[in-house]
Amino acid sequence: MTAQTVQQGDLVTVIGLEVHVQLETNTKIFCGCSTAPADGPNEHVCPVCLGLPGALPVLNEAAVEAAVKIGKAIDATIPEETRFHRKNYYYPDLPKNFQITQYDEPICQDGELEISLEGERHTIAIERAHLEEDPGSLQHVGGSIDTAEYTLVDYNRAGTPLMEIVTAPDFRSPKEVRAFLAELEEVLEYLAVFDASRDGSLRVDANLSIIDGERVSDDGSIELADLEAANRTEVKNISSHKGAEKALAYEETRQKNAVRRGREVEQETRHWDESRGITVSMRSKEAEKDYRYFAEADLPPLRVAHWKDEIAIPELPKARRERFASEYGLGEEAASKLTSTKQVADFYEDVASEFDPDLAATWVADELLGELNYRDMQITDIEGRLEEIATLVELVATDEITAKNAKEVVLRGMLDERDDPETIVDREGLGKTDDDAVQAAVLEAIEENPDAVADYEAGEGGAINFLVGQVMQKTGGSADPGDVNGLLRAELE
Amino acid sequence: MSDDIFITEATIDGESDGPLAGKQVAIKDNISTDGVKTTCGSKMLADYVPPYDATVVERITDAGGTIVGKTNMDEFGMGTTTEMSYFGPTDNPAAPGHVPGGSSGGSAAAVAAGAADLALGSDTGGSIRCPAAFCGVVGIKPTYGLVSRYGLVAYANSLEQIGPIAGTVEDAATLLEVIAGVDERDGTTRDPPQGDVAYSDAADGNVDGLSIGIPTELLEGAEDGVVDAFWDGIEQLESQGATTHDVSLPSVEHAVEAYYVIAMSEASSNLARFDGVRYGHSGGFDGNWNETFAAGRAEGFGDEVKRRILLGTYALSAGYHDKYYKKAQNARAWVKQDFDSALEEADVLASPTMPVTPFELGESLDDPLQMYLADANTVPVNLADLPAISVPVGDADGLPVGMQLVGPAFGERQLIRAGSALE
Ligand SMILES: [Zn+2]
Repeated sequence: MTAQTVQQGDLVTVIGLEVHVQLETNTKIFCGCSTAPADGPNEHVCPVCLGLPGALPVLNEAAVEAAVKIGKAIDATIPEETRFHRKNYYYPDLPKNFQITQYDEPICQDGELEISLEGERHTIAIERAHLEEDPGSLQHVGGSIDTAEYTLVDYNRAGTPLMEIVTAPDFRSPKEVRAFLAELEEVLEYLAVFDASRDGSLRVDANLSIIDGERVSDDGSIELADLEAANRTEVKNISSHKGAEKALAYEETRQKNAVRRGREVEQETRHWDESRGITVSMRSKEAEKDYRYFAEADLPPLRVAHWKDEIAIPELPKARRERFASEYGLGEEAASKLTSTKQVADFYEDVASEFDPDLAATWVADELLGELNYRDMQITDIEGRLEEIATLVELVATDEITAKNAKEVVLRGMLDERDDPETIVDREGLGKTDDDAVQAAVLEAIEENPDAVADYEAGEGGAINFLVGQVMQKTGGSADPGDVNGLLRAELE
Repeated sequence: MSDDIFITEATIDGESDGPLAGKQVAIKDNISTDGVKTTCGSKMLADYVPPYDATVVERITDAGGTIVGKTNMDEFGMGTTTEMSYFGPTDNPAAPGHVPGGSSGGSAAAVAAGAADLALGSDTGGSIRCPAAFCGVVGIKPTYGLVSRYGLVAYANSLEQIGPIAGTVEDAATLLEVIAGVDERDGTTRDPPQGDVAYSDAADGNVDGLSIGIPTELLEGAEDGVVDAFWDGIEQLESQGATTHDVSLPSVEHAVEAYYVIAMSEASSNLARFDGVRYGHSGGFDGNWNETFAAGRAEGFGDEVKRRILLGTYALSAGYHDKYYKKAQNARAWVKQDFDSALEEADVLASPTMPVTPFELGESLDDPLQMYLADANTVPVNLADLPAISVPVGDADGLPVGMQLVGPAFGERQLIRAGSALE
């Protein structure tokens, strides 16, 4: 939570999140079915995840391991034993009409995650994070849930391990929420327990309320009673960072307008309609649901007391950012970009260990990520070709080719035509022209352009650039423009 | 004879040799059989054909047993007479005109009638021991966790175990040996601390020096004829060298209440999956899914099942959870403690299995409470997760009486030894 100056009459936005993330395990949380994408509906199913009579869940310890990793990463308390409960409710996507989840003894309690926004750091408290099973998915045919002619159920997703991460109401703006989700996703990817590219792998529910600024104390904290007194809306169906910011900005404006106009905000659940960019009321004044939680006797408690010490986690984004800044002398922006995913950071360190860290930073953070981004690609899409990229950096570092050619011709050629850098250099004749040839071109250019020489001698600044251009043309762009400039000046003195 | 014993008669051949070679085994109809209907005695599952075998079925056929059919039972195991079956009652072969007990009534009747050599039942609060006692055969309720429940359609999953029913203690022990032991598909299974699951050689009738505790509370409500037969059995054990002493289990006074709260609570959740979407009776209703589920369930479940689902839902509800479910869990812990300390002073505890002799068919139908109270001696054992055996000890006015022996966790060998001394 952050200290902020609150003026009298200000309205303060308070947001808390429930984030569902699918954990990357080979098999489902309570059966041996694959979690990989299936060719068609209801292919990765078995008696257990279909909830057939008599089938029993057996805990996949890989899911617990992933949860312990997350717990370590967010500095949470991990109990001696982990237990499961049943959350009872009827829904067509729920094979057993109860969900196996964790109730009063979640695998992670009292953690936190630090985010950085516009140079300021905020710590978001994570109240709990627990394991549960994902339901199946519904396909409404011929309309929405209310108007569809019929609905198809696909249980491929049923039993995919989920981690539900519940934050304290520590967010004061939708921007903070976005930054948190980005940071969380980075951490999860570093832990190799999450795949952001998988459809539906991140689902967010957010609670938002507006509190009178006078209720906020100087250190930014708000009394629980004041929080509870304010009507809040729960916004569902958010599936991306950007979507979260947009949905909550919409909801923030809607509620603030209501408060300013003296209208009461209704306590309700609202649905984020991404395509229309608005939140829509789902059902108002819904009675508090009673899920009749009780212990799942089919899953005996699992002792995890020693797991925390036995399971190692890699260096996390924040620590790595800080180390990059001190070890390689990188600025905050470059360090952030270079730690955005573990693969990028690992690659940067590979390159920086062989060449100048600054040059490596420019090539990885600006050129490579820029060109990938332009093509809507990720570093993982060129996983097998990172060696070639390193070769390209080497060609620049050793002055074999110019930086300009390296980027505009070689890198783009590599990404678009999938050729290796040497092939492109040879094909395009990009090897730097030797000094004699450049010198000859310089003399030629002076010879052929007496007017420009006269202009230069008359003190006209643009003339030298014209002459450089002429030399570059003669050398097919393979000379270094800086060198050419120097050579020209030397000749003309 | 056997037309009211089986819901489905079907032959599933086993391997050609093994400890059960040549044995015909009847399976209670709440245990999944691949390709053979498994109805749980319910209209809800009248046409349900599982695509997989329960672990115990695999183990039986692997051991050479031949499965001969799926036996009648109270719907989803909820009953003490087998009259709660959607498919009608089963007569008691040992006492015609009377109920065979329940809920595994078809299994006990199959053995008593000679329609099978052996049978599997399941016991949530006495459902193996009661029909064994009523039909004059042997039944074993194993320690919770000894036998895999994978494929057993759950009624109250923290209480129930699959177990054998047979004509002799030795035959029951042989079947138990085949089905017992850890199963990776049931996370609650454990191997006995002594390691192996050898039981068939324990039926040697040697009770010399055996210390038998007799819980006075479990004799109090029993009918005179039952008590007489019970003491005859005790004398028989004493004459072979066993000693007896009284023990007290003050907690059992609350056991029936605690049992029904826990069993019904779990049932309300376990039976939620029967919504007609993936399998079972849907009723073919159209429209709002919530109403569709409700209509299908209203048609598919019988009254006793509905009663227990409703009571269980209520017991778990916010505001009542602490008053009922949590209190019942506390009572369960107390019962466990009581049994554990009584078994520190005794090798086994003995009581009549049922305080009554078999009801006449139809007699108990209008009074669920009378039926629930008949479970007084059996339900505490499930609450305590302990093993028990019911062995015939004569009759009362021609109606079979059973003696229940309860042992410490994984003390099945002890029970088999003591039980075989009564034969
Ligand atoms: Zn599965």
